Amino acid sequence: MRRLTDRIFTLLCGLGAFIALGIILTVLGLVVFRGAPAISLRFFTEQVRSVGAEGGIFYQLVGTLILIATAAVIAVPLAAGVGIYHQLYVHTPRSRRAMDAVLHALNGIPSIVFGLVGLAFFVQMLGMKKSWLAGGILLAVMILPTVTVAFIERMRAIPKVTIEAAYGLGLRRPQIALSILFPQAVSGLVTGTLLGLARAAGETAPIMFTAVIFAGATMPKGVVDSPVLALPYHIFVLAQDSFDPSMTQKMWGSAVVLLMLVMGLSLIALPLRLKIHEEARRV
Amino acid sequence: MRARQFDWIRMVAIVFSVLTVATVCGIFLFLLAGSVEAWRHEGFSFLAKNHWAYRKQFFEAAAMIYGTAAVALIAIVLAVPIGLSTAIFSSEICGERSRLVLKFLVELLAGVPSVVYGLLGVLFLRNWMQTLYEKGNLEVYSGDTLLTAGVLLAIMVLPTLSTLFDDAFRSVGSKYRDAARGLGLTRAETTFQVILPQALPGLVGALLLSFGRALGETIAVFLVVGRADNRFPKLGGVLHSLVDAGQTITSKLGGAETNIAVGDKLHTSALLGLALVLFVVVVGLTLIADVVRSRLSSETVA
Repeated sequence: MRRLTDRIFTLLCGLGAFIALGIILTVLGLVVFRGAPAISLRFFTEQVRSVGAEGGIFYQLVGTLILIATAAVIAVPLAAGVGIYHQLYVHTPRSRRAMDAVLHALNGIPSIVFGLVGLAFFVQMLGMKKSWLAGGILLAVMILPTVTVAFIERMRAIPKVTIEAAYGLGLRRPQIALSILFPQAVSGLVTGTLLGLARAAGETAPIMFTAVIFAGATMPKGVVDSPVLALPYHIFVLAQDSFDPSMTQKMWGSAVVLLMLVMGLSLIALPLRLKIHEEARRV
Repeated sequence: MRARQFDWIRMVAIVFSVLTVATVCGIFLFLLAGSVEAWRHEGFSFLAKNHWAYRKQFFEAAAMIYGTAAVALIAIVLAVPIGLSTAIFSSEICGERSRLVLKFLVELLAGVPSVVYGLLGVLFLRNWMQTLYEKGNLEVYSGDTLLTAGVLLAIMVLPTLSTLFDDAFRSVGSKYRDAARGLGLTRAETTFQVILPQALPGLVGALLLSFGRALGETIAVFLVVGRADNRFPKLGGVLHSLVDAGQTITSKLGGAETNIAVGDKLHTSALLGLALVLFVVVVGLTLIADVVRSRLSSETVA
C-alpha cells in the first residue's frame, strides 16, 4: 500500500513536470516555428512598410536597443551605489531588511503603474513629449532591484575572511569598496544588468505612453521630445488588429526577434549566474 | 594620524540609496495625491459600486476589481497543481543534473516577454477557447473572456511559481531528507510529512508573490480579456461571467482611456486611483510574502 501510494505520488509529480515541459516547448515551438519564415537579413535592415505588412523592423530594433542602453546607463551606477551602501555602510540587520523591503517593493510594482506614473510625471507634469529618455528612465527604475540584488548576492559570496583581513590591514571602507567588493563582485553587477535588460527589452507597458510610437520615428534627434519605435510595442499594436496573413507573418517574425534578444541576454548571464548560485550555497 | 579623508563613495552610495527609497515613496505619494480628486468625487463607491462611464463622470470600479481578482485567481488555481508537482519532481524526485536542466527550461519560459504570450493568446488560445465554449453549448460571442485571460496568465505565472516552490523545497536541509529516508519513509511520506511542513512559509510566500504578479500583468491580459466595461455579476452569475468578456484594472489602464484622459483632471485622477489600488495590493502582497519567506530562512538556520 505504501509502495503504491509512493508510485502514484511519483507518477503525478512526473506528470506535472511533463505538462510544464510540454507548455514550455509548445510556447517556444509555436513562436519559433511561426516566426522563422519571416526572418531574413532584410527583415533586420529594412524599414517597416504598409503598416507592418511589409518590410523589416530596423528602427524597432534600434529603438529597443536605445531604450535598454539608456536603462543600463542609468541603472548600473545606481545599483552599484545602493549595493555598496547595503553591504558596506548599513550595519544593523533591521535597516538592512528595510532596504531589502524597499528593493522588493520596487520590484513588485506592476509595470503598467510605471507607465501611468511616467505619463503623468514626465509628460503631463514636466511637459516632456514622448521620448526615449523617459522610457529609459522608467525601465532603469524597473530593473534597478534586479541589478542591485544580483550585485549584493555576489558581494555576500565573498569570503568573510577576505573582508576581515582587509579591515585588519587598516584599509578604510572606500578602499575596501574599490579594491575588494567591486573587483570581486563585478560579475554580479554584469549578470544583474543582463537579466534586467532581458526583462526591459520585452516590456511594453512602461513605455507605451511615455516613449514609443507605432510609426514614423527613425533615429531620435532630440532628448526630451523624440519618441522611438520599439519591438514589443510594435507586436502589441499589430496583435490588436491584424487579420492580414502577411502581417501575421511579420508579427511572428518580430516576436522571434524579440524572443532571441531577450533569451540571448539571459543566456549570456547564465554561466555567471550558476557559478554565483553554487558559491552562495557553499557559504 | 592622517586626517580623515572625505569618503566620496559613501556619499554617492547614500545619495543613490536615498534616491531609490524616494522613488518608491514618490510613486506611492504621486498616485495618492493624483487620485485625491477621484476619491473626493466618488468616495468609497470608487471601489464598491459598479458604474464606469467617463463621459458621464461615473468612476465606480467594482467590475474591474472583480475582473482583476477573477483572472488572477483562475491563473493561480490552474498553475498551482502543475507548479507544485513540477517543483516536487525537480527538488525531491529527479537527480541534480536533470533538476538544473528543468530549472533552466522553466526560467527560459519565465523570460518570454508578456507581449509574446499576448500574441499566442490572440492567435491561438482565444480560438481554442471559443471552440471549447461552442462544444460546451455555451452562449459566448467570442473567445475573449476572463477565463481566457486566466488560462494565459496561468501559463505566465507557472515558471515563477514552480521556481519559487522549488527554492522553498530546496531550502529545507538535506539532512532532514536523508534522515527521513533512512528511517524507511517513502518519498511521498518524506515529502508530505517532513519537507512540506518546513517548506510551508516559502510555499506561501511563493504563492503570494505569484498572485501579486498575476494581478499586475497587463499586456497579455489586455489582448484577450475582451475589455468590456461594467460586467459585475450577481452571485449566481459568477460562473457565467467567467466565460464572458470583462475588464481588469490593468487592461483599463493599458487601454485608450489613458490617452483620452489627458487634460481631463477628474478622469486622469480616477485612472491614477486605479493604479493606486493596484499598487497597494500588489506591493502589499510582495511585502507580506517577504516577511513570510524571511521567517522561513531564519527558522531553517536556527
